[in-house]
Amino acid sequence: MLEIKNLFLKKGDFTLKNISFSIEPNKYFVLLGQTGSGKTLLLESIAGFHKIDGKIFFEEKDITSLPPERRNFGFVYQDFALFPNLNVEKNIKYSEKFKGKNETLFEDLTKFLNIEHILKRKIKHLSGGEKQRIALARAIYSRAKILLLDEPLSAIDPTMRNEIMKNLKELPKRYNLSILHVTHNFREASYLGDFLGIMLNGNLIQTGEIKNVLKNPISIEVAKFLGFKNLFNVSLIGFNSTKYFSIDPNDIKISLKKEKYDYCFEGIVEEIMGITDHYKVFVNVNENQFFIKVIKNDFEKLNIQKKQKVYICFNKKDIIFI
Amino acid sequence: MKKIFIALSFVIVAFLIIPLIKLLLSIHFISYISTIKDKEVIGSIVLTMKVSLFAVIFVLFTGLPLAYLIARYEFKGKSLLESIIDIPIMVPHTAAGIALLITFNNGFIGNFFSKLNISFIDTTQGIMIAMMFISAPYLINSAKEGFKNIDPKLENISRSLGANSFYTFLRIVLPNAKKDIINGMLMMWARGLGEFGAVVILAYHPMVAPVLIYDRFVNFGLNYSAPVAAIMIIVSVIIFIFVRFLNNKFQN
Repeated sequence: MLEIKNLFLKKGDFTLKNISFSIEPNKYFVLLGQTGSGKTLLLESIAGFHKIDGKIFFEEKDITSLPPERRNFGFVYQDFALFPNLNVEKNIKYSEKFKGKNETLFEDLTKFLNIEHILKRKIKHLSGGEKQRIALARAIYSRAKILLLDEPLSAIDPTMRNEIMKNLKELPKRYNLSILHVTHNFREASYLGDFLGIMLNGNLIQTGEIKNVLKNPISIEVAKFLGFKNLFNVSLIGFNSTKYFSIDPNDIKISLKKEKYDYCFEGIVEEIMGITDHYKVFVNVNENQFFIKVIKNDFEKLNIQKKQKVYICFNKKDIIFI
Repeated sequence: MKKIFIALSFVIVAFLIIPLIKLLLSIHFISYISTIKDKEVIGSIVLTMKVSLFAVIFVLFTGLPLAYLIARYEFKGKSLLESIIDIPIMVPHTAAGIALLITFNNGFIGNFFSKLNISFIDTTQGIMIAMMFISAPYLINSAKEGFKNIDPKLENISRSLGANSFYTFLRIVLPNAKKDIINGMLMMWARGLGEFGAVVILAYHPMVAPVLIYDRFVNFGLNYSAPVAAIMIIVSVIIFIFVRFLNNKFQN
């Protein structure tokens, strides 16, 4: 549906280096990258706000040199960029002059996004969550076939975030569109995405179906970025290689004696942090610091103290090789 | 420290206000009435305001695009261009008048206009270009600041929603820079009203208010010029306050 081929752009401090990927109809594509990795610039390039090298195809047509108003892509910025001179309703209906009226869509959108009661309000009196839903409604009402979302959740109150994530996930099917969502938050990505792309320093270094990318990060940088914990050299578990492995902090058993697991290491407890429902325990094994999550009840039964000798054990099946 | 600052501020505020109040109070009520009834005075004030407004409108159509270009784009010679725009603020006004006289009275530009039967000597057009030369930077600079304060993302969004760049300028950029543009128009208009040096060189007649005040002072003395000056000040201040009030009221 949307295909980016060798997109290259240098602007200020940012460079996008030969980026290629494609998005399928009605799919949610999340592009994960650090702040400053050029994600916003990439979205803006796709929307047509910058001249680029390379090609952009939409439904098999070359749209590389089309102006933004002829691309039919909806855009939502991190700070939403609502028009301050127009009220909520007029913001949403801004595209009506060019795309025509569609009362059914308008009513459905305002109901679905729960903004019916604020249509007559002025922009400056709205909360972050409200602004975000209006920006979404405005983009979808323009009959966009692709929504380009730039960190849409970062300016939202955490209590509202889950609800909006649920809304976002439903959008592709409900309004027959695809979404390209850029974020630096891997939790957001793993909940929302059908497909995932990883961007580091202007390079798109891995793309694929989300479950594959999350299972098989191609490098230690990607793994770190995806929130993988306990990244160690495989020599620790007896392999002779320079590769790495990772083990989920929830999949490690902490114990006072050696247990029947594929791997068990002796270590010293360095730090214990009590969080509401669980404990974070940091254990030093031959200068490698393991991070283990233990449920509150289990931990309290063990009665482990700092500087105490413990065993940490895990099974081969839970290891992710990188 | 605060007390010293307040005292110092008081000095300058007093300096700015007392002469105006003295002027307004020095004139007898009957003088006011007779001056208001003087057709030459009213005609001159109306002329001044009208011509200054024309100058503002002309710069609205030419200076706003310039201000937008400067605010939005980076190009070679941009800071030079910005300095050039500020030059009229710095030059002595009579010198500006001389420069305009040389430019518009003969030579290529003068000849071009004389073929169109437009003269700048002792005409309202002459008054207009004199006012415009001196006062245009106020509007251009104010609009430039207004445009700079508008997030370019708003324009991007407008384009992505289907609007072309010109529609975006009219519907998004202008309304959101309205306050600065109107303030700039007011500043420019007010500056034009008070212009004497440049105007007098191009067009002694028809007499704008500052020229009339000067003319009466030289020929008839203080008693005849002061009421004109006072009325000019009163009318300008009323209009100024009124427009500012409207501008603030309708801002969002």
